[in-house]
Amino acid sequence: MGCSSSVPDRASGRSGGLNPENSAADSKNLRVKLVLLGDSGVGKSCIVLRFVRGQFDPTSKVTVGASFLSQTIALQDSTTVKFEIWDTAGQERYAALAPLYYRGAAVAVIVYDITSSDSFAKAQYWVKELQKHGSPDIILALVGNKADLQEKRKVSVQDGTEYAEKNGMFFIETSAKTADNINELFEEIAKRLPRPTSS
Amino acid sequence: MAERSIMLHILEPRRDAYGFALRPQHTHRYREYTNIYKEEEEERCYKWKNFLDQVATSFQACPLEEANTNTLQAETSKHKEEVRSRRSSTGDDSTGSDSEPVDTSDSSPTKLLESPIETQKRVVQTWCQIRPSLNAIEIMMSSRVEKKIMKDEKTINGGDHLPPPEEAESLDGTLANSEEDEACISGSLNRSTSATGAESRMGECMSNSVNPSKRDGDVAEGVSHDQLFTWKEELECLVRGGLPKDLRGEVWQAFVGVKTRRIEKYYQDLLDQETNCSADNENNIPSGVPIKLKKQIEKDIPRTFPGHPALDENGRDSLRRLLLAYALHNPSVGYCQAMNFFAGLLLLLMPEENAFWTLVGIIDDYFDGYYTEEMIESQVDQLVFEELMRERFPKLVKHLDYLGVQVAWFSGPWFLSIFVNMLPWESVLRVWDVLLFEGNRVMLFRTALALMELYGPALVTTKDAGDAITLLQSLAGSTFDSSQLVLTACMGFLTVTEVRLVELREKLRPSVLAVIEERTKKGRVWKDSKGLASKLYSFKHDPGSPVEMKKTAAGADAGPCTPNLDDFLSGLAGDSETESLPDLQEQVVWLKVELCRLLEEKRSAVLRAEELETALMEMVTQDNRRLLSARVEQLEIEVAELKKTLAEKKEQEVAMLQLLMRVEQEQRVTEEARINAEQDVAAQKYAVHMLQDKYEKAMASLAEMEKRVVMAESMLEATLQYESGQVKATSSPRARNQGSGQENQRKIGLLPFALGWRDRNKGKSTEESSE
Repeated sequence: MGCSSSVPDRASGRSGGLNPENSAADSKNLRVKLVLLGDSGVGKSCIVLRFVRGQFDPTSKVTVGASFLSQTIALQDSTTVKFEIWDTAGQERYAALAPLYYRGAAVAVIVYDITSSDSFAKAQYWVKELQKHGSPDIILALVGNKADLQEKRKVSVQDGTEYAEKNGMFFIETSAKTADNINELFEEIAKRLPRPTSS
Repeated sequence: MAERSIMLHILEPRRDAYGFALRPQHTHRYREYTNIYKEEEEERCYKWKNFLDQVATSFQACPLEEANTNTLQAETSKHKEEVRSRRSSTGDDSTGSDSEPVDTSDSSPTKLLESPIETQKRVVQTWCQIRPSLNAIEIMMSSRVEKKIMKDEKTINGGDHLPPPEEAESLDGTLANSEEDEACISGSLNRSTSATGAESRMGECMSNSVNPSKRDGDVAEGVSHDQLFTWKEELECLVRGGLPKDLRGEVWQAFVGVKTRRIEKYYQDLLDQETNCSADNENNIPSGVPIKLKKQIEKDIPRTFPGHPALDENGRDSLRRLLLAYALHNPSVGYCQAMNFFAGLLLLLMPEENAFWTLVGIIDDYFDGYYTEEMIESQVDQLVFEELMRERFPKLVKHLDYLGVQVAWFSGPWFLSIFVNMLPWESVLRVWDVLLFEGNRVMLFRTALALMELYGPALVTTKDAGDAITLLQSLAGSTFDSSQLVLTACMGFLTVTEVRLVELREKLRPSVLAVIEERTKKGRVWKDSKGLASKLYSFKHDPGSPVEMKKTAAGADAGPCTPNLDDFLSGLAGDSETESLPDLQEQVVWLKVELCRLLEEKRSAVLRAEELETALMEMVTQDNRRLLSARVEQLEIEVAELKKTLAEKKEQEVAMLQLLMRVEQEQRVTEEARINAEQDVAAQKYAVHMLQDKYEKAMASLAEMEKRVVMAESMLEATLQYESGQVKATSSPRARNQGSGQENQRKIGLLPFALGWRDRNKGKSTEESSE
């Protein structure tokens, strides 16, 4: 089959390279399902693209349904963490499909736009939703994106921090545009992952 | 124009023939397929021309169509002029046809087909009839729409309106429908006396070909269908082979039955209403598009095919109007992400109002219940697809289960986007060709199954969920062989028919409803605004609940007072009965809740079972991981070894350093010693020098002394000689003798002393020189 010649090679080559490290059986190499939730247009896809490909496209496409990307990072204590990231559609009605993606997720990153109070309210909705329907030991991260737009800020750092603290979440402000805190976000999440006791 | 497009390609190699962005990793593959696409396009242009000629010939005798029975040539020349003038004014030509090589040669058969449509593409905000040569197809397809409208009128107060008419027809087997069908066709077609045979044949065939997969069901109602299949099969074949680029927009309209759906001025009225509403009331007034949806549309317009040359300022305005008008037209859907892509795609192929009616056909009819607030039908279809997957690819599904991959993870986005952005454009359009022709979602399932057929073998080799999804995404994104995809889809899954899908949907819908019921019951976090409406809407789709159906109609009327097409046509029938049913409705609602509760329990049990299953899978996965962990261990050992060597090296280095330091110290010590020695030498040399000085002085004094000694000796000898001379001269006189004797004695006493001193002095000088 001609179509699949080049791409599968790349893909399988990559997966082949990752696999030895990817045996989530030991405490050194973790595999984590992560889901991004949040209002439409807050930059979920941009955060993922920045983290996985190091790119930023100001005119990115609307996400329909959900899209998937994965990325492996190495921590200082020589553990590796492979993030399997589900980037979901932001429009309210797509929330109907969200359980499909957050079910079984170890981490949920809830994103809002610091220049929009609506999106912060929506983030709070998601927190409640996950507390109700997500896995009980899910790690929640609250992310205020577009931190580069300081002059348009509507949600203060304090509001974000307080809400996150109240709900036992990890909080960070990022900018997918300037790449600020993007890697830190995922590294911080990686540090918080429960380490399986090595067999 | 060809030049322009070539320029466009040179300047923007990252866009395909349709002006859509190509992913960088696909540029090469796309280039490989460009020639294949060209060849295919030429071939299908030729075939379609023949086909349409044939149809046109049979149409010429038809009085109804006489006004339009110009030859293709006439049309072409007429349109060409318009093309030129319009092109210069709007200049948003990027939709592919430009790059067609056939465009440049007049002798090519496709020439005739291409030019007219260009005209229509460039008309902004006007309604355009499709070219007469496609009327046959349009009329035939319209019969489907008319049937549906009639059916809706008849059954407005009862029944499930979901299944498209033809399958309802075959399900119900109502003669009435097929009679209507015939009536429609004969009404529009069979007015001529001469060519009746051919036309009715055509019409009847088409009414069947609407859903080719259900031939069996249709055969029953047909009278002389056996001999009529030729026409239908020809068209079906042509559609599966793809539509010529430049006919696509119009043929799609024909398939969707735009002409029949259209209500004069309706679109303009919607736009006027919208502008009035937003001018009069800033706030969320029932007659306008809800502010929330407006905001969403605004957000999404720049994110629809970003950078596409045709979506400039005008293109975006067009897109905005279209989406707002649709939101007004069907408030139960309003606006849902994904529709922006559909509307954008349609606008690239046809004028704005045509695009609106095509969108109406797709969303209201083919994808009814898909993009509504609860997205029920979409969720149902996911379950249906999973069921089909389990049936067709048990091994693959088992592997996916083992990896913990849910089929809906990837099929959901595929279905909701109708493959837009999921497959290469050529493939997307080919799938849409068939889908719009068939007028239902069968092609959606068949395409997804075909993708699984093509890529299942690769998926089975993956070792974790992430890799499986990544692989599938990238494989689907590189499905450039659109013919292979469409043919696999259409030929490989003939048993996947609308009847089958309807059955499965009925079977699986309750579980979806149960989950939704649970959600709406528990979480009214933000859904206050829509609560009742959505619940009612969800009941609308429940099988066998005629009462709900009515209430939904009532809800639609009572709610945002916008004209809904269906209500428009069927309004009176529906309205008359809506008032008298509140009690019954309540009861049914209550019963529904009960049913949902039960279903919920069942669902949770199923979920628990699933959880256990996944836990089991997880344990199995551990096995696989052991192998991998072995390798990790090995690698770790290697790392440890390397670390050890590194440490050793470091130690050595330290030792070397110490050694070096010691050597240096020694060197320093030696140096000091050397300096000391040199100083000693200098001191000694000085001492020697001093001694030599002394020695020389001593020697000098010695030499003086010797001189003196010599002098003294010579004096002594002289004295002795004198004395001896004196003695000889005075030897007689004794006195003198005596006296002189005494003096002699004394002088002799002095002599030995002087001699002894001389000897001693000599010894001393020898001693000195020896030093």
